[in-house]
Amino acid sequence: MIEINELYKSFNSHQVLSGLNLKIQKGSTCVIIGRSGCGKSVLLKHIVGILKPDSGSVFVDGKDVTHLNDKDLNSLRLRISIVFQGGALFDSLSVADNVGFGLIEHQHISRKELLERVKESLALVDLKGVEDMMPSSLSGGMKKRVSLARAICIKPDLILYDEPTTGVDPITADSINELIKSLHDKLKVTAVVVTHDMKSAYRVADRIAMMYQGKIIAEGNSQEIQQTQDPVVHQFINGLSQGPITESLG
Amino acid sequence: MVFGKTKLELKVGVFVIVGLAILVTFILSIGKFKTWTAGYKVGFIFNFSNGVKVGAPVRFAGMDVGEVKHISISMPKETGENAKVKVLCWVKKKVAIPVDSTIWVNTLGLLGEKYIEIMPGHDYQHCLVANQTLEGVDPLAMHEVVRTAKNIVDNLDQGIERINKGEGTIGKLLYDDSVYNELDAFMKDIRKNPWKLFFRAKEKK
Amino acid sequence: MINDFLSNIGRRTLSFLYFAGGLASLSGQAIYLTFVPPFHKGRFLEQVKKAGCDSLPIVSLVALFIGFIFALQTAYFMQRIGSEMYIASLVALSIVRELGPVITALVVAGRVGASITAELGSMQVTEQIDALETLASNPIKYLVVPRFLALSIVLPLLTLYADIIGILGSYIICVFKLGISSSLYLHVTFDALLYKDLFTGLFKTIFFGMLIAFISCYEGFNVEGGAEGVGQATTRSVVFTFIMIIAADCFFTAIFYFIFP
Repeated sequence: MIEINELYKSFNSHQVLSGLNLKIQKGSTCVIIGRSGCGKSVLLKHIVGILKPDSGSVFVDGKDVTHLNDKDLNSLRLRISIVFQGGALFDSLSVADNVGFGLIEHQHISRKELLERVKESLALVDLKGVEDMMPSSLSGGMKKRVSLARAICIKPDLILYDEPTTGVDPITADSINELIKSLHDKLKVTAVVVTHDMKSAYRVADRIAMMYQGKIIAEGNSQEIQQTQDPVVHQFINGLSQGPITESLG
Repeated sequence: MVFGKTKLELKVGVFVIVGLAILVTFILSIGKFKTWTAGYKVGFIFNFSNGVKVGAPVRFAGMDVGEVKHISISMPKETGENAKVKVLCWVKKKVAIPVDSTIWVNTLGLLGEKYIEIMPGHDYQHCLVANQTLEGVDPLAMHEVVRTAKNIVDNLDQGIERINKGEGTIGKLLYDDSVYNELDAFMKDIRKNPWKLFFRAKEKK
Repeated sequence: MINDFLSNIGRRTLSFLYFAGGLASLSGQAIYLTFVPPFHKGRFLEQVKKAGCDSLPIVSLVALFIGFIFALQTAYFMQRIGSEMYIASLVALSIVRELGPVITALVVAGRVGASITAELGSMQVTEQIDALETLASNPIKYLVVPRFLALSIVLPLLTLYADIIGILGSYIICVFKLGISSSLYLHVTFDALLYKDLFTGLFKTIFFGMLIAFISCYEGFNVEGGAEGVGQATTRSVVFTFIMIIAADCFFTAIFYFIFP
């Protein structure tokens, strides 16, 4: 489904991605782990074409995202959803408008049908009766769920999660993990989850890829990653302050 | 937006309508009678237009009745003729201008705005009709006023010069001491001999 | 030393060119996308309400005070030369030609421009703009076009309000304080005005509206660095809009002076 080849990207002479390669199978859930600020979110933004790489290519469903025109890119984006780190709900719109945004903007469906779809999506994330609330009056966990509801409302083939469990309490985090898993099972969507929360990673992942210094340095299923011999991966997944990652920085 | 649309459209509607109403008010007020009153055009011909401008008011018996629409100059075809300025004016329909009216360019108030003054004549049997023209009286141009004033001042100058030289009656009165001396002697004589006022001189007898 | 100085100048020039280029490209795209369907009536109306209806009270208040002040200041001199009658003409001309448009633009720049930058800036910081893009909505079409259209329509309308209220303010001073007769005042006011005074005044406000919209949207889109960045961008946007409005006004006044003498 996704194939990333030799991706390079730098911001103001700061190299973020340096020759990244990654393949993700259709229908699988791939978790990308790595330290904060190592460029995981940047990678996600390349997959939907918000950011353009300095060089390299990103194929989604056989189409090169980096060279699509606006029209094709938009029709591709209607099949991809991103759940942003902070939710990124539009604060000028009500929850219902937020969740139904993609449908309101791009599909001509009746108001009644729209409301049904919105309610259905909200029910999938265990929310009821919040349609008329504004995002500012929601708690952090609820925002994440509404954001999830918005992502699934357009019935995408691919959902990208940007740190879905960051900044919420462990119980909410667990229920979000549960949601990601059940969405994957129910809707058969491909998922890419970016996180540095290892517990969450083990919960939802079919495959785990470790990102370090702008590259994927290890890839495998949960067990393979846990039993790794690579000292960098070993330091990260065990959360050690001493190791090659911190030494190379120091 | 789709859900929970409030009185948004009403508010915006009122805002726009009132704004447009103000615009219309401005346009009508600036345009005044020009826009909706019926009128006709007449031409006035001057030798000297004194800088009257398009848009300047036309006053009939001191009342605003129209405005200057167009000003053109016609150069003389033969020698000996003057260049003429034709001022085309728009005048309200109900104002009839007798052909024996006096027309000149006048100056208004402090700012020196020029306008067309029409002093109505008496011959209401013959009035101007549309597109007819009438000869105007030349306004007294400033340089002519200055020239006249200069003549007057020059004459005065000469008079004062003669007075200074002690010529003429006033000059003598001012500059000749003899009158003063005699008067002085007379006063002294009277004070000494007041009776002289009541008696005539003896030698007449 | 010299090197530092020169590279400093070079850096500033480059960043200015970068800014000008970005602003021009944003404006171009926004104008192009204005004519590309779909058209969003709802969002446009909402911006008209935000920029227009909600600015009306403060614009009116400022215009009223400007009317008061201007009448009093003009009266100070006009009374000395005994021509209070012409206060009306002077006030009407100044307000309709210059003060109405510029004061309105400055008030709207401070009020609406700042809020646009702050709003778009925090949308940028919280990834809402990215979210828009991933939902296949062009942020320029969705956010900039309605604001740009609304501002360029609302500003002439607000200027009309400001003109009439400014004249009203001066009317109050002249009629109730200086004892000029009401009908004389109105007569002299509209006598002095020509169509070109009104329309040149209104014409330039369309451009002021565009300036406010483009600069504040551009600054909003280019916020970096969280809440502090939003604050800095808002300040920059207001300051730059103010400067550009005054500069554009100078430009238009000069142009009109030579086109319509």
